[in-house]
Formats: sequence, structure tokens, C-alpha cells
Amino acid sequence: MAGKKLTVVISQAQGKHPVRSKLEEEVAAALLMDPQVSVSLVPHLYDMSADHTGLVFLRSLKGPFVLLGWQYPRALHWTLDRQQIRGHMGITELIEEIDDDEEAIDDQPSQAIGSTEMPNRNIYCIDLRVSSNPQEYIEEIHRIYEEENQQLVQLTFGSLTNGNGSSNGVAQNGSATNGSSSNGNSGLTFDLTQYILNPAESDTPSAKEEIAQFKATQPPIKRRWYPVIDYSRCTNCMECIDFCLFGVYGVDNLDRILVEEQDNCKKGCPACSRVCPENAIIFPGHKTPAIAGAEGEVAGLKIDLSKLFGGSDDDAVDLAIRERDAELMADGREMVGKSVGLAERHTTSSRCRGERDELDDLMDELDSLGI
Amino acid sequence: MNDASDPLIFMMGQYEAIIPQDRVYSSNHLWLKELEPDLFRVGFTSYSVRLLQDVYFLEWRVEAPTSLRLKQEIGEIESSKALSTLYSPAEGELVQFNEHLLDDPTPINTDCYGTGWLYDLRTSAIMKRPSEYVAHLDEGWEKTQNMLKGQIN
Ligand code: SF4
Ligand code: SF4
Repeated sequence: MAGKKLTVVISQAQGKHPVRSKLEEEVAAALLMDPQVSVSLVPHLYDMSADHTGLVFLRSLKGPFVLLGWQYPRALHWTLDRQQIRGHMGITELIEEIDDDEEAIDDQPSQAIGSTEMPNRNIYCIDLRVSSNPQEYIEEIHRIYEEENQQLVQLTFGSLTNGNGSSNGVAQNGSATNGSSSNGNSGLTFDLTQYILNPAESDTPSAKEEIAQFKATQPPIKRRWYPVIDYSRCTNCMECIDFCLFGVYGVDNLDRILVEEQDNCKKGCPACSRVCPENAIIFPGHKTPAIAGAEGEVAGLKIDLSKLFGGSDDDAVDLAIRERDAELMADGREMVGKSVGLAERHTTSSRCRGERDELDDLMDELDSLGI
Repeated sequence: MNDASDPLIFMMGQYEAIIPQDRVYSSNHLWLKELEPDLFRVGFTSYSVRLLQDVYFLEWRVEAPTSLRLKQEIGEIESSKALSTLYSPAEGELVQFNEHLLDDPTPINTDCYGTGWLYDLRTSAIMKRPSEYVAHLDEGWEKTQNMLKGQIN
């Protein structure tokens, strides 16, 4: 007999991207007919404000779920974490190809502070940019379904029912409590089922059309730009809070670093991610994979040559300083250069290391890496 | 023109980057070959290509023809090992792109000084002579290595 339904949430692409939209609709349509799955569509995860009903809906999910979105899985995972939607990182097999022998080396700094209040469930984040073939997502979701249902033998997740009438326990939970007591919206009533696609309604000519219409009824949301912290890497060193002069960072009551005022962040500026010693700061929308949250091993292999081709001759910290100065100037404030908020290791005259390197050694090294 | 002289060579470790003398260069590692007065064909130098290697993706952010500012962001390039934003080498007017590259960018690797050209640019900016470009490479080489090392490690 079938096990519990698996919740699949699709975080939609920003704007009206026809190709991306089509893939979302194809995946959703296929899942809609699938008795093992309950599928929901929410706006772009990163762009939803903390009190957006789409996030309230995600918070109301108590069991494991799969999130499909248009960002690197790491970026999706930590964006959820930031919105108090937490769980273990489910292992998905549908990921970007990693170059040959560079296997995933899990060298998270041991001093990393990790997430808090992590419920015992898996959240599987999948990057929709990995494949344009809907079938691959469907297959992976089935694999995860099997995996989760095996685990269910040992674990019990609340009391989700799988009866006929209710599409899943989540909806009941959501509409009964409005899922909102925790975020100051107790005055409002949300119908959280609005995000769940209901197969009963879609006996219209085409499920895909139905879904497209469903999407059209969701109001557009404004694009955002802010840092997302990967707490599996962050050591709470506070370099970011010292560096950012726009009041984006703060600390919580346990003195853990946190992105407090996300909308103070300067659109397009990724400066603080360049000074973070652990590469723990993700800007999911940045064009450089390492900054956008690609896994270390993927990101590490692609070398950004922008500086060479005219971006600037600076190293990462110089670049961060210039980016910050540009934003200060745009705000009508004084530029500060390197005088403010930099850890000593950046300000003491660098470059004593490395200058002895033999050119040939380096080229050999590059050759062995295949660059 | 007197393009009879042998190309210059810049040693990148063991690798010989060829710098032909029949054209001029920009500090961001592009060559510019004059087609007619003030109209240049532009492409990557072999120094650039050595660092990029097997380019498989090229995308322009602007549509030709269009006017360009110096260092304006005009596109993206990606190889299996590297990626970069592309910037305009000078102020001027971008006349046309090499359309063939959009389907298949391999000429960038196989023939960077010929069929791998990127675009035509009308400009009156003053560029580097080949010997000046080599001096510029010399000067920046250590920094470039440090930058690469910094990213590899
Ligand atoms: S700089 Fe990086 S490691 Fe340090 S507190 Fe900020 S996010 Fe964490
Ligand atoms: S990107 Fe700039 S403004 Fe935004 S948090 Fe970092 S330093 Fe502050």
C-alpha cells in the first residue's frame, strides 16, 4: 500500500521567464496526477518577505519535503533556514555534474556554528537548472519518496493522514491554526491551501493550462537582494558585521550572526561575501557560482577571470572595498576605503607569501588542474 | 602596413603566448586589428585563451550596433574551468558581433587571432603597441599568478 504522500514545493522563477515557466508547469502537471505526491507552487523563495503567505505555508509543513527552485541547492537550503524552515539537508542525486575526481570533499570548518532548532526531517533542495527534462525531476522525486517511506518504518512524523478528502495533513494544520501565530500576523486569515494544487480541480482540458492560470492569479512580488548565511560554514567571526556599513547584519539573543535588515543591503553588491573567511555568505542571484552558493568543489574549479578582462585588478578584498565605497558614495556618504571594518589579516601588507613561486611550478599546477 | 616582423612571444611558464605584430592591444587582453581607419576587429589574445581554455559558452549583454563606454560590461564567457564577465576595451561603437561564435565558440580556442574574432569596434582610443602589450603582460604576470593561485587554493 502507498505510504505517506510526499510534499513537493516548486519555488517559481523570478519574472516571466518563458522557458523556466514551462518546465515548472510540466513538472507540476506530471506530479499533479501522481498519487504519491502533493504538489504546491509558491513564488520565488528568495523574494518572499518573511510574512508572505507562501513562507507561512512552508513553515506549516511539518514533515519532509522536496523543494524545487532556480538556485543552487545550498542557496535554497539556507534561504529556508533563514525563514525558520529547517531540516536536515536531504541528499539528492540530481545535482550538477561535478568534475571527475573532484569528489565532494566535506571539509566544513569544525568551528562552524551550525543551524539551530533543527527538526528531525529531511528537506531535499533541487536546482531546476540542472536539467530541462521534467522526467528527471519526477524520477528523483520517486526515489526520494521511496527513501522517505523506508525511513518511516523507524520514524514517526506527527499524525499526517492520508485519507481521501484531505489532500494532506498540512492543509488541515494550516487552515486550522492559520500557521501564523509565530510571526505576528495573527490578525490575518490565510488560506494556506491556496498553494496546494488540487487534482480534483484540474479535469479541465490540460493540467498545464490549469497550472499556468493558477500561477497567473498569484500577485507578482518584488525582487530582493540580501545575503544568506550558510551556518554549516559560518564560525561567527563577525567580520561581515564589521565590514558592512549599511546595518544589514545583527546578532540574535545567542549572539549568533544574523542577517537582520535584509532590505538595507545594496542591490547587486556582494562585497561582504568576499571578506567572509569561510565563504559562508551566499548571494543566490550573483553570477559567480561561488558567491551564488554552488558547492565548493564546483565553484572552486571555475576560475573567475573577470579581473583580468577589465573588471579590476584588485583581489577579492580590494574589490569588496571598492564595491562598498561605491555604495557609500551612492548613499551620499564618505568613502572609507580600507580604514573601516577589515580584519587585520587584510590590512597588514600582504603578498610576502607567494612571491617566491616559480612560474613553472605554477603553470604545472595549472596544467595538472587542467586550467 | 609593416606586419612583416615576427610575432612577439610572452612566456607563461612553459607556454608561449604569441603576440602578432600586425595589430594593437588593450590592457584587458584583447587584440584590435584595424580594418579601416578607426574600425577595429577585436578578439582574445593567446594569453587570454591560455587562461580561459576550451570556451563553451559566450553571451553578449548588448545588441549591436551600440555605443560603449570604457570598461562597460558587455557579455559573459565560460569555459569548463573559468568564467568571466567581458568588458569593453575602449569607448566607441560596437558595430557587429561575430555571429558564428554564438553557435559554436570553438574558433576562440582554435584560431583566436583569426576566425575566433569577437566583434568589430569603431574607436579612436589609443591602444598598446605589441611591445607595450608584452611589457604590460610582464608587469602583471606575478599578480595574475597570485590571483589564479588564490582562486585555486
Ligand atoms: S564573516 Fe562569515 S564566518 Fe564570519 S560571522 Fe560573517 S558569515 Fe560567519
Ligand atoms: S552586500 Fe554590501 S550592503 Fe549587503 S550586506 Fe554585504 S556589505 Fe552590506
